[in-house]
Amino acid sequence: MAMISLNTHAVRLFLLVCLLCSFEVATVRDVSGGTQPDLLADEMSEEEEAAGEISDPLEPLNRVVFEFNDKLYFWGIKPLRTGYRAVVPRDIRVCLGNFVSNLATPVVLINTLLQGRWEDAGVVLTRFGVNTVLGVYGFGDPAASELGLTPRSADFGQTLGTYGAGAGIYLCWPLFGPSNVRDSIGLVADNIAHPLTYLDVESAQAISFSAGSYLNRLSLSSDYYEEMKRYSLDPYVSSREAYHEYRNARIGQKGENSHSQSTPAETEMFPAIETQL
Amino acid sequence: MKNTLLLLFVLLGLSLCMVKSTEAIESPTAQLKPTLKALTDLLSDESLKGDINRSERRARIMAAIKVGFDFQEMCKRILGRTWNEVQAEEQRQFTELMTKLLENVYIGKLESYSGQQIEFLEERVKGERAQVSTTIDNKGVKIPVHYILNLNDSKWMVYDINIEGVSLVRNYMEQFKTILRKEKFAGLIKVLEDKNKSFEVQSSAGK
Repeated sequence: MAMISLNTHAVRLFLLVCLLCSFEVATVRDVSGGTQPDLLADEMSEEEEAAGEISDPLEPLNRVVFEFNDKLYFWGIKPLRTGYRAVVPRDIRVCLGNFVSNLATPVVLINTLLQGRWEDAGVVLTRFGVNTVLGVYGFGDPAASELGLTPRSADFGQTLGTYGAGAGIYLCWPLFGPSNVRDSIGLVADNIAHPLTYLDVESAQAISFSAGSYLNRLSLSSDYYEEMKRYSLDPYVSSREAYHEYRNARIGQKGENSHSQSTPAETEMFPAIETQL
Repeated sequence: MKNTLLLLFVLLGLSLCMVKSTEAIESPTAQLKPTLKALTDLLSDESLKGDINRSERRARIMAAIKVGFDFQEMCKRILGRTWNEVQAEEQRQFTELMTKLLENVYIGKLESYSGQQIEFLEERVKGERAQVSTTIDNKGVKIPVHYILNLNDSKWMVYDINIEGVSLVRNYMEQFKTILRKEKFAGLIKVLEDKNKSFEVQSSAGK
């Protein structure tokens, strides 16, 4: 009898261990699966949907600016970019782009630290050291090509968002394009943190540096604006929605995102963010 | 004893059935992979390249997409609440026009494909919906692309694509909301018709 009770006890214990193990496995799997954002929670109730809507009280004014930017793109920026692409070889444009992003390292570093992205901050620092020394002042990017340390990006609008700041009303700036109150403040703050602010340069020189790096950036990306316009029925709403969701996704993903560097897609579709960085 | 044996057989049979029914539904990733593979194969197919093969390429791409993508569901979700408010005939009309637009969008996006690698990262299943997260490597930059799928007759079908946090369905939904508010359903149909016409003009000009 004692034997039997021991047996059942052993069986129970075994089952318990099995259960715990399976639970363990399940939780482990859950953790490893947590690196990707959960997009399945989008079945919203009516109130939630209304709350998630973008606040755009300045829509009539924003639409005028959007039209202005559209004309500016087709009459000014696009021909300029085509000419620049034809004159300056791609390799050189890539080098210039590397130099500009290397110079903006302090801005990205401060923001990764403020967001608690320690690993990314380490990568940003390492990249700066390696690329400044081995990449000749940052014109080359051996950190990415040799060490596999791809560029990271972080901005102050994103930092404010991680601390829970709301987007505020939607704004469409002339030339800069889609933005909102939070990201506009972020843009100003990031500019203040930029090394160029502390170098002894005239404002005219600073402006031409910004304009130059902007054009260089555009020259390296595809024609996303035109694509967006071709596929949408209301390009203003489409870009507003895309900007909003894109920024929210960026605020949600901190830490292990390996693809957090600025992609060519952002540069043109959302120029407000990356212009100065 | 006989009863016990019978019960055992019944249980065995039942459990086998259960195993079979769960195995019959492949995982969302396993179902999505062949669809994407078929598409990338078609796009890298040399014999289909060039403007002369345009219509054949287009037809083959569409046939391949329809295996794994549920355009009907996409259209329904894009229209949102309005879907239930309009007549069946209007639903049909909208689906037809919207499917055409999505075709144009897809084909256009796909045609810029040039051998980029797709990496499957993970999947997440919640009841009858699933998310397959991938990245597409574009000149060393990994762009996150998530496919959202719906279980439809034991088959997982894509009904939304999310690129860098931007959902295709939601983007169109928001655009249509503004149009519906101002111009009602008839206005939306007209805008859709005009948009589709603009692609026809473009494609004939491109020939």
